[in-house]
Amino acid sequence: MIKPILYAGLPLLMTLGGAAAFADTIKIGVPVPLSGPYASAGVDVLNAAKLAAADINASGGVLGKQIEILGEDDACDAQQGVQAAQKLVDAGVAAVAGGYCSGAALPELTALHRAGIPYILDASTNPKLTQLGFNNVFRTIGRDDQQGPFAAAFMANYLKAKKVAVIDDNTVYSKGLADNTVAGLKKLGIDVVYYDAVTPGQMDYSAVLSHVASLGPDVIDYTGYFAEAGLMAKEAAALHLAPKLMGGDATDDPTLIKTAGMAANGWMATCAPLPQFLTGAKDFVTNFTKAYNTAPGPYSVYEYDAVEIAAKTIKSAGSTDPATLIAALHKVTDYPGLTGNITFNSVGDRAVASYITVIVKDEAWAPYVKQTPAGQWVPVQ
Amino acid sequence: MSEFIQLVVAGLTTGSFYALVALGYTMVYGIVRLINFAHGDIFMVGAFIGWTVLTAVAASHMPWGIGLLLALILAMLLTGGIGVVIERFAYQPLLSAPPLSILITALGVSIALENGVLLIFGAGFNTYPHLIGSEGFMLGGAHITNIQVGIIVLSFLLMGGLYLFVHHTFIGTAMRALAVDRDAARLMGINVERVIQITFFLGSSLAAVAGVMEGLYYTEINFFMGFVVGLRAFTAAVLGGIGNIPGAMAGGLLIGLLEAFSAGYISSRWTDVIVFLVLIGTLVIKPTGLFGERVVERM
Repeated sequence: MIKPILYAGLPLLMTLGGAAAFADTIKIGVPVPLSGPYASAGVDVLNAAKLAAADINASGGVLGKQIEILGEDDACDAQQGVQAAQKLVDAGVAAVAGGYCSGAALPELTALHRAGIPYILDASTNPKLTQLGFNNVFRTIGRDDQQGPFAAAFMANYLKAKKVAVIDDNTVYSKGLADNTVAGLKKLGIDVVYYDAVTPGQMDYSAVLSHVASLGPDVIDYTGYFAEAGLMAKEAAALHLAPKLMGGDATDDPTLIKTAGMAANGWMATCAPLPQFLTGAKDFVTNFTKAYNTAPGPYSVYEYDAVEIAAKTIKSAGSTDPATLIAALHKVTDYPGLTGNITFNSVGDRAVASYITVIVKDEAWAPYVKQTPAGQWVPVQ
Repeated sequence: MSEFIQLVVAGLTTGSFYALVALGYTMVYGIVRLINFAHGDIFMVGAFIGWTVLTAVAASHMPWGIGLLLALILAMLLTGGIGVVIERFAYQPLLSAPPLSILITALGVSIALENGVLLIFGAGFNTYPHLIGSEGFMLGGAHITNIQVGIIVLSFLLMGGLYLFVHHTFIGTAMRALAVDRDAARLMGINVERVIQITFFLGSSLAAVAGVMEGLYYTEINFFMGFVVGLRAFTAAVLGGIGNIPGAMAGGLLIGLLEAFSAGYISSRWTDVIVFLVLIGTLVIKPTGLFGERVVERM
C-alpha cells in the first residue's frame, strides 16, 4: 500500500526539488564506535538513540516531523571521528547526540563547532570537552574530574587503602581520569606507589602487574577500557596477586566478565548510576530489553536523555536552526530525564552529577556502594 | 627474584606465540622471497576456527581434553588448507611477476581475511570458553600456571619437530633445496609447486596452533588481533635473520622476553621503543640478523 503512494508523490517531490525531501525528517546524528574493540558499547548507545526516536515519533514527532537517527562509525579514533562528524554535517543534522571515546569526541566536537551544530555527549567524560570554550557542547554525564576524586575517596575511605597503584592506557579519557584520581588520592594523603601507562591492545599485562604488585599497593586502579581490564583481572588472578582491583566507568561492561570469567569476581568500578539502579529508568530497561533482546549498556540511558533533550528543545524552540537550538539548550533547567533532573551549567556540563560504585559478583555486575551527601558510604539499592 | 621468574615465564609465553607465527614468515620468505603480510591474519583465522570448535565442544558434554585436541587439529588442518588455497590463487600466479606485485597481493589478502572474519563473526570480542583455569604451582615465590607451561612446552615441541622435519625428511631437504635455487631444484626433479604448498600448509598450521593457544590463554579474540602479533612476529623473524628457522624461534622468544622485562623493570609504554631499538641495533651490527650468517642456505 505504501509503494503506490510513494510513486504518486514522486513527481511532486521532483518539482519541489531536493530541499523538500530533506525537510521530511529532523535528523539527529549519533557518532559512536561501530567497529573495532568498542563496537559493542557503541551499538548499545546507538540502539538507545533509536529507542528514544521511536518513542518521540510514536507520540507525534517534533514540529510535525519525525525524528531520524543517523548512526556514524567513529571507531573510537580521532581521524575517523572527524570524518564521521563531517558526514553528519553534510547529511544536514539538526543536532548530534552521542559519542563514546573522549579521544574521538574531541575532534568531532571541533568539527561540529565549526559547523555550529550542538553536540550533546552521553558518555565522553573527559573535562577538556567542555573546557575548550565552545558554546555548542553539552553533557548528560559527569566529568572525570568529578569521577576521579570520587574514586579516590572510595579507595581511601571505603576500601581503607594506604597505598594505591594507578594505571592508565594513555588515551584522552583514561589519562584524564587517572590524573584526576591521582590528584584526589594525594589530597587525601594516600601513597601513590605506581602511576604509569600501558599500551592498549597488547594482551599480556602480567609483566606490568607483577611489577606493580611487588610495590605492595592495597588497590590497583586501571582507568582504561574494559577489553584490557578483563585481561588484567584474568592475569592478576593467574599471578595470585593480593591487591584489590578496580577501574573507571569504561571498565563497567559485560565483556570484562566474559573475558575474565571467575577472575572478574571482585572487580569494582566507579560509574554514573546505571539504568538498572535508577528508579526513573525502569520502563526504559524493560523497553530496551524487549526491543534489542539484551540489557542496555551503561551509557544507553544517558544517550536516551541526550536524544530526548535534543528533540524536546527543538520542539520548545520551535526551530531546527542550530544557533537557536544552542541558545535554547543553554536554558535547559531541571529537565526531568531518566537519569534525574538535568540542568546544564554555563559550559554545558550537568550541574549535579552523581557517581556510584559497582562490583562483579558471581560473574555479573551488581550495585555496590555510594556516598551520601554527609560522606557516609551506603549500599546502592 | 620471584618477580624475575614471573617475568621470564610471561616473556617465554608471549615469545612462544611470536616464535610460532615468525616461523611462517621465515619459511615462506626462505622459499619464495615473499614477506607474507597476511600471515598475522592467518593466525587470527586459526584462533577463530579454534573458537568455533571449542564453543561447540563446550555446548556438548565432551571431555574438554578431547575437545581441545579436536580444536587444535581442526584449526591446524583448516587453517593450513586456507594457507594453501591463498597460495594457489593469490600468490602462485605471481611467483614470476615483479616482487612488488606479490607484496601488494599479500596486503590485499590480509584485508580480505580481516573483513571476512568481521562479516562472519562480528566486530566485537568473541570469548573462548573458560576451559582451563588459572591453577598452577609456586616456583621461587612466583605463581606459574599450568597453561603457561603447556604453551611453552607445546611450542618447543612444535619448533623441534619442524627443525627435524626440515633437516631429516625428503620434503624438508626439497624445501632447503628450493631455498638455495628454485630453478636448479626443479631441474633435479623436485615438484616445486607442491613443496611451496607444503611450506604454506606448515606455516599456516603453526600459526593456527598459536592462535588457538592465544585464545585459550587470553580468552578474548577479535578480527584485528592478527595485526599486533603479526607485526611482532615479523620483527622476530627479521631479528633472527629472515629465512632462518632457528633464527625465527630465537627471535620470537627474545622479543617476548624483551617485552616482559621492559614492561616489568622500565615501563610498559616503552616496550615498543625498546623492542625496535634492539632490532635496529642488531641490524646495524649484523645486517643479516642474529642467525643469518649463511647467505646462500636460508633454511
